[in-house]
Amino acid sequence: MSFKITKMMDLDSIDYLVDVEAPEVAERFHPGQFVMLMTKKEGERIPMSVMKVDNGKISMFIRKLGKTSKELRDGITSFENVIGPLGNGIEEKAYGTVVVVSDAVCGHAENYAICDVLGKIEGNNIISIQTFSSKKEIYPDEFLTKKIADRHFITTEDGSFGDHGSYIVTLKRLINNGVKIDYVFGGGKLPTMKAVSTLLAINNIDNLFTTRQMMVDGSGMCGSCRVYIDGEMKLSCIDGPMFDSRKINWTRAMKRYGMFKKEETIANEYYDAHKGGCGQCQK
Amino acid sequence: MPKIKPRVPMGEQPPLQRIKNFKSVPYGYTEDEAVEEAERCIQCKKPKCEPACPVNIGIKEMNLLIAQRKFKEAYLLVKDDNTFPACSGRVCPQEKQCEGDCILKKFDEPIAIGKLEAFIADWGTQHKVEVEEIIANNEDKHVAIVGSGPAGLACAAECRKYGYAVTIYETLHKAGGVLQYGIPEFRLPKDIVDDEVKKLEDMGVKIKLNHTVGQNIYYYELVSQNDAVFLAMGAGAPKFMGIQGENPLDGVYSSNEFLIRANLMKAYKFPEWDTPIDVGKKVAVLGAGNVAMDAARTALRLGAEEVHIIYRRTKEYAPAREEELHHALEEGIIFHELVNPIRFHGNDDGFIDYMELVKMELIEDKKGKLNPTPVEGSNFYMGIDTVIEALGTVPNRLFLDRAPEIKKDKRGVIIVDENHMTSVEGTFAGGDAASGAATVIKALGEGKNAAKSIHAYISSLDD
Repeated sequence: MSFKITKMMDLDSIDYLVDVEAPEVAERFHPGQFVMLMTKKEGERIPMSVMKVDNGKISMFIRKLGKTSKELRDGITSFENVIGPLGNGIEEKAYGTVVVVSDAVCGHAENYAICDVLGKIEGNNIISIQTFSSKKEIYPDEFLTKKIADRHFITTEDGSFGDHGSYIVTLKRLINNGVKIDYVFGGGKLPTMKAVSTLLAINNIDNLFTTRQMMVDGSGMCGSCRVYIDGEMKLSCIDGPMFDSRKINWTRAMKRYGMFKKEETIANEYYDAHKGGCGQCQK
Repeated sequence: MPKIKPRVPMGEQPPLQRIKNFKSVPYGYTEDEAVEEAERCIQCKKPKCEPACPVNIGIKEMNLLIAQRKFKEAYLLVKDDNTFPACSGRVCPQEKQCEGDCILKKFDEPIAIGKLEAFIADWGTQHKVEVEEIIANNEDKHVAIVGSGPAGLACAAECRKYGYAVTIYETLHKAGGVLQYGIPEFRLPKDIVDDEVKKLEDMGVKIKLNHTVGQNIYYYELVSQNDAVFLAMGAGAPKFMGIQGENPLDGVYSSNEFLIRANLMKAYKFPEWDTPIDVGKKVAVLGAGNVAMDAARTALRLGAEEVHIIYRRTKEYAPAREEELHHALEEGIIFHELVNPIRFHGNDDGFIDYMELVKMELIEDKKGKLNPTPVEGSNFYMGIDTVIEALGTVPNRLFLDRAPEIKKDKRGVIIVDENHMTSVEGTFAGGDAASGAATVIKALGEGKNAAKSIHAYISSLDD
């Protein structure tokens, strides 16, 4: 199998934008769901968020970090597999005032997909907050949720643009200013999500947050993405990936991290040494 | 009674060599070895081995044909009874089935039926023997099969022989189910599985990979587009002990995750292949079934210095196939009887550090059953770097949650009638999805039998 990459764009940020032809996935995709990518036969199954679907193509932000992005940089033209959509989509209905939050670690793609779909439903007022680490890492306008949300905020962690800090700063201000928020969707760094869950609990706001954990198959077989929701073990891949942040055991979710850090470094070094050209490996 | 010759031993990679690679442990019989072994069969008037085989292979005749060097005929005979002899010959618990009832067992070792079956299957493949499939033209009738494990593959082959247009839907990016993701290369080489799958495709069976029914294609779509549906999703979801400290520790795997990484994703070829697997110096595998042995032996091959099997009963109760247990012990795996973990402890990095265990004793209940029971005050500790929980698997709820019309029991096992039909007319089920976790050969048998019922059902629609 082969899935053609139709667009690869350097966003001059931390990500590439990648469009790939995957009509069956595109046809069935709903915001909140994810896909699994395999760049090649020998590739890993990598869970990936989808920013939008259009005409049989799906668009994704792919981090310039690790082996996959190097393969993109070095000009691969297709993926071996694009699997999905996986996980559960959000309910597409009128919620009232919806805030969608995301940061550079997780959620900008979901943010876009959710704003896009919910914004078209009458009765929704969409506020989108996007956090970047600094001004120079902000995406070009067309990849932000600027045009599809009713109100759009950017925050930067170093304060070089917009509110200084994570999306929590802006969200808190909105709440303090008396904006009545009916629902929050989001993703992001685990400590940020943990903090936001407290804020949402205090203010009693319904919400769904992405707890994308490590996955292998993404279909409930490996159990690697187990999370604890209200004390019960759930699988992020088939029960989630989005859960009510107030019910997630964040302490447990945060600890389960970095099992393959050592191997990531090895994979990167191996790739750099074998990307072709030196001919050493042909001897 | 004439003196019976001893069983022809099968060449194997020596333990110290094989724990450094993932190649097949047995070399397989040569033609001469197979003939010599088959000649040991005394050709019982009423062979007991055949009824003990879940798919009733014509074992007696197979042995005779091999002894007469009629390999092609033997291959065709076996293939007719069992679609995937190369797999079942390697993974069946023969000592509990055919070989267990072999009459020779009273005097000596039974005939090596499994090894002969694997030999003849490989011979057929190597000599590219064409199996004449009688394919009637029923292609206007469609059968959808959910899952490409043993039950699904067997059912697909049979349905195709009846002439139906058959499509298999498989979640993973490779077909074969447990044969692909679960059973390691050194026990069942993946070339063999790929070859069996290719033969099916050559027969005209369509396989749609990356399709999870209930997720990215719906059950009702299959029902509306097909004349019959066969559910063979297996029992693919892991069980965890649910003990304290289990989550969120890194270094604690389900056997499913560990084996999927190693087998399907070929993590043993990392970093040449992308998927990593992390194995510490000291590994504990919880459980003593085939999956536990597979995980333990895989861990050893991935570089673990010590691998411990932790089992709450004694060795003789271990559900693993005799040969697997034997191979594992031969390779230096340490077997702990009558112990049970009760708590995991992590280090500051969030990795497992040590576990607390309790000794067990087997206490007879009123029905005479021996139950493992904790010995009070016997707690002890074991330092450990990696834990693999191999406690069995249960059906994956993903599909069944989204098809509530299909009746299941409280374990999530699909309820079927004697014809393998579920509570929904025209939908059949077999293999582990309909019987809980069992064996490959049982699934092959059920897939084949279900195909007969599917044929009868579709034929009845025409009347």
